[in-house]
Amino acid sequence: MEEQKPRAARKSRLIVRLGSFLVSHSAFVSVICCVAGCIALLLLPVLAKNTYVSENALMPGSANPMFSNQDVLEANRFVKDIYEKRILKDGSGMEIARLIGKHMKDVGAEVYYHKFKYHNLRFHPLCFFSSTPRTAVLQNSSACILNGVSPVGIIRAPRGDGKESVVLVTPYNSENIKLNEALSLGLAYSVFSLLSRVVWLAKDIVWLAADSRYGEYTSVASWLKDYHNPVFSSDYGKIGIDMCFEKTENHVEDESSFDGAAYDDFKRAGTMAAALVVKVMDKERSERDRVDIYAEASNGQMPNLDLINIVHYLAVHRQGLHVRVGTFGFLLNSALLKHVGKTLQRLTRLAESLNPGWKLGVNSADFVEGTATLASSMYYQALGVPTGPHGAFRDFQIDAITMELTPRTSLTNNNGISSFLLRGGRLIEGVIRSVNNLLEKFHQSFFLYFLTAPNKFVSVGVYMIAFALLVAPLPIVAAALFSSTANARSSTAISNSKPTNSKPVTRSGSWNWLHSAKLVFLVHLWALIVSLLPYLISQVPHTNSTTSMLSWSLSSLLILYLLTRLTKSYVEGYQWEVLKSVMIAAASIGLSLMSIINFSTAQVGSILLVPMCLMVRPLKQPVQASFFLAALLKILNILLAVVAFPPASLAILKGCLRGFESINIGDFWEWSEFLWVWNSATYLFVALVHLPCWYLCVHILLHN
Amino acid sequence: MASMSQRLKPSWRNHAIASHLLIFHLVMASTLLPSLTSAIPSFSSTMHNNNWAVLVCTSRFWFNYRHMANTLSLYRTVKRLGIPDERIILMLADDMACNSRNTYPAQVFNNENHQLNLYGDNVEVDYRGYEVTVENLLRVLTGRHESAVPRSKRLLSDEGSHILLYMTGHGGDEFLKFQDSEELQSHDLADAVKQMKEKHRFKELLIMVDTCQAATLFSQLQSPGVLAIGSSKKGENSYSHHLDSDIGVSVVDRFTFYTLAFFEKLNMYSNASLGSLFHSYNPNLLMSTAFYRMDLYQRPLDEVPVTNFFGSVMKTIHTDSPYRVVSSQPKAKESIFLADDKVKEIDKRNIKEKRCSFHLWMEFLQKKLVEKDDSHIIVMYGFGSMILLLIVSTWLSA
Repeated sequence: MEEQKPRAARKSRLIVRLGSFLVSHSAFVSVICCVAGCIALLLLPVLAKNTYVSENALMPGSANPMFSNQDVLEANRFVKDIYEKRILKDGSGMEIARLIGKHMKDVGAEVYYHKFKYHNLRFHPLCFFSSTPRTAVLQNSSACILNGVSPVGIIRAPRGDGKESVVLVTPYNSENIKLNEALSLGLAYSVFSLLSRVVWLAKDIVWLAADSRYGEYTSVASWLKDYHNPVFSSDYGKIGIDMCFEKTENHVEDESSFDGAAYDDFKRAGTMAAALVVKVMDKERSERDRVDIYAEASNGQMPNLDLINIVHYLAVHRQGLHVRVGTFGFLLNSALLKHVGKTLQRLTRLAESLNPGWKLGVNSADFVEGTATLASSMYYQALGVPTGPHGAFRDFQIDAITMELTPRTSLTNNNGISSFLLRGGRLIEGVIRSVNNLLEKFHQSFFLYFLTAPNKFVSVGVYMIAFALLVAPLPIVAAALFSSTANARSSTAISNSKPTNSKPVTRSGSWNWLHSAKLVFLVHLWALIVSLLPYLISQVPHTNSTTSMLSWSLSSLLILYLLTRLTKSYVEGYQWEVLKSVMIAAASIGLSLMSIINFSTAQVGSILLVPMCLMVRPLKQPVQASFFLAALLKILNILLAVVAFPPASLAILKGCLRGFESINIGDFWEWSEFLWVWNSATYLFVALVHLPCWYLCVHILLHN
Repeated sequence: MASMSQRLKPSWRNHAIASHLLIFHLVMASTLLPSLTSAIPSFSSTMHNNNWAVLVCTSRFWFNYRHMANTLSLYRTVKRLGIPDERIILMLADDMACNSRNTYPAQVFNNENHQLNLYGDNVEVDYRGYEVTVENLLRVLTGRHESAVPRSKRLLSDEGSHILLYMTGHGGDEFLKFQDSEELQSHDLADAVKQMKEKHRFKELLIMVDTCQAATLFSQLQSPGVLAIGSSKKGENSYSHHLDSDIGVSVVDRFTFYTLAFFEKLNMYSNASLGSLFHSYNPNLLMSTAFYRMDLYQRPLDEVPVTNFFGSVMKTIHTDSPYRVVSSQPKAKESIFLADDKVKEIDKRNIKEKRCSFHLWMEFLQKKLVEKDDSHIIVMYGFGSMILLLIVSTWLSA
């Protein structure tokens, strides 16, 4: 016996021995991994690389822009025309749509009007993740259905094959048009008319002047849906555009000049290579004309990095614009971050003095800015809600971004606006020419990345390290807990079972985890029911968010009570260690699955979940450690149990950002409503992974 | 066949008047004796008696416009210097002229001044689009075609051919990319050249390659008579020369640009040597180092005119009686045996030349000119009589 053991150990494979080594030192490994994961997350802004245009075919800025002052004059005239229509009280929306359509026709484009019906966004548990967006549900119910009309113009590439296109979108509110919206229409029009004259088009150009009366996203999404789902039934043309016009403008006499039938056909222009949503904004002004780029689409999907690269390259190096991406402003003033940045700067200086070959060059200010941008990038990806109308394109795998152009002068300053329009027009022309050079679609650059600056990014290969380090301890700790309880039982079984037959005891020992698994399964079932409850609650009329929230939580508790009562005899006789190990296993599976669907959600979720899962132990259980350590463990456990409760964490977050007076019971309901109507997988994560895990942790904490 | 005959004796070259005379001589020869020159039999198997060019652009896509422009520029140059279309195999992997992104439809330029349309009339593309493959290039070089392939797509060279093989595209260490899907490796090229040598498909072969790390493509070559020049050494990139901001692409590569700049100064009568071409490359302007592989080539580069490869200029042998087929045949056989003994061959030729009555007259004229000092008087009288002749002819025609 004594000799056989070492031989057996020698025979076992290295990976098995390594695994057992990790399992036996699980506490140490998990602390190291968690700390390393947090540090890696913090260092991401330092590890960011400069962006580069990866696709050779794009060649941004290699051609001189053709957009001239003549086009600017044209844009100004158009803006004036549009803005004058605002005075018409009734049916001004139709008038504007018609004016845009007329101008499109005049430059030689194919024109039609896209009509769409507006549906309230609603929670459809069975439509979750389905390819059809919410607005696609065409029901005959007349409730909450209103019409929007978006003029669409298509320029056919003179020598192209008509199989590919580039889309330009300008949202405008047809009922109450603002000057900035008129300007964006004017800008798009002038670019569009320029493109109708050029000879180098290889892709068709589609200009969608999206009627954003009911939201920018809705109109773009419904147009895209109609674009990709052709309707062949004969009754499609029943509600023609002329009827639309008749309804709204009975007082207009020149109906005869408007041949509605010709504008009814839904015309298409091949697959879309890219889409640009252009908006002129009148926000805080800076020294230079500015472009804000919004790229996040639903569930953390991003457009190809090359699209952002060419916009950034052309804006900065050709047009001298200032480019911004989303940033959390409050983090820029954070003292803690500044301190971390300074420490890092000092550390890298020290490292460089030791070895001049290392060129780390960490700058404290850059670090803070990078962290603020990274946090915003990660937050909007984790939220899973698109940051603009470009999100609708990503649902069809089309690369799209929103460009918000802000002039440095006021919108009424003619000179300032003219130079702004010139730059903006040249930027859009340059981007379109660059995309026009592309063959088929963007494929060369990254799809999975975080931005830390407009020209800096963290690629998937780097940022997944932090997540992997955070998640790695979970299976190790689960295995350690399981093996320790199995060992304990078998040793007790051996000591106890000498007089009797040992077989039944060992069997019950090895299958003991099933009891815990039953409980974990029940809790997950409960979570599933809880996640579906909002569908029922939202059907109840005349409720506000507070009552909805209260009914949601009460019904959840009721269901939990019923479930535990019904299955009381079914789930008994488990050990808390085994329960914890099964719970950790379930959580790690959930996190890993989520990292595939939406990485950022998993990343953010793991920061809360992993420490809670690893540290949890019954409060009444004595700890074999110093008093101080034991107390610390208990405090941390309670703290995490409070913070990780989804409504509580939301309330804390909101309190930190907007002051604690603003917290409301209905907040969580509103937030979940926001997530589910946008089909965000984050809702599923919170309901199906986070909530059961939190409940089980509390269950273990209160274990006797 | 040879469009002209040219003699390059050193003593003649030094003499200014003699060179004038040479042109006169050439014109005389080509106008007075067309039947004689066209009927010269290819009696010598190892003489340089025809020129071929294989010009290959290997890359597709709009952003590789410059590769097509490179190849078309070379095409234009070799055509201008005298290689007829039927002896040029032009392979273009994509059609930039008809690309919908082209600001100048149906035109290709290699300079942003847009002075010279390379894709004008009389461009005969033999292999285009997806026909440009490694397989087809190797088939063209080695002559292993399917029977249905027309003659215009074949390289019908023989043991007296000088072949120019020009390739441009994207390359790397020991390979050249074709069409974004396959590669020509240096081994493939060397093997093809070896097969060509064994099948007596060339006398001399000049391989010119404009890609990144072009020099590596020549590393496996072994066949004698091969001269290779590449745009860059191993580890170096070849760069484009300039961007045409109207068309929105780079229009020519540096190596090709400076090669063309060299040839633009020349016409088909120029005596510029390959050596002077090779020394014209300035590494600072190229941003890479042009690489020459000369160890397989016997002749000194300074004595080989560039028109030997880039034009169709070659030595032409005059026989006194073109119809003596029976007697010339054994001589042809004999000359194979004496292939390396050049002195004897030249002697034989001299004897032949003396026998020709035209040559005897020329010899007499030449003697008069060179040996006596009053040559200028003869030239003056000559010009005078020509002017008189001109006046008379214009008067007659009016």
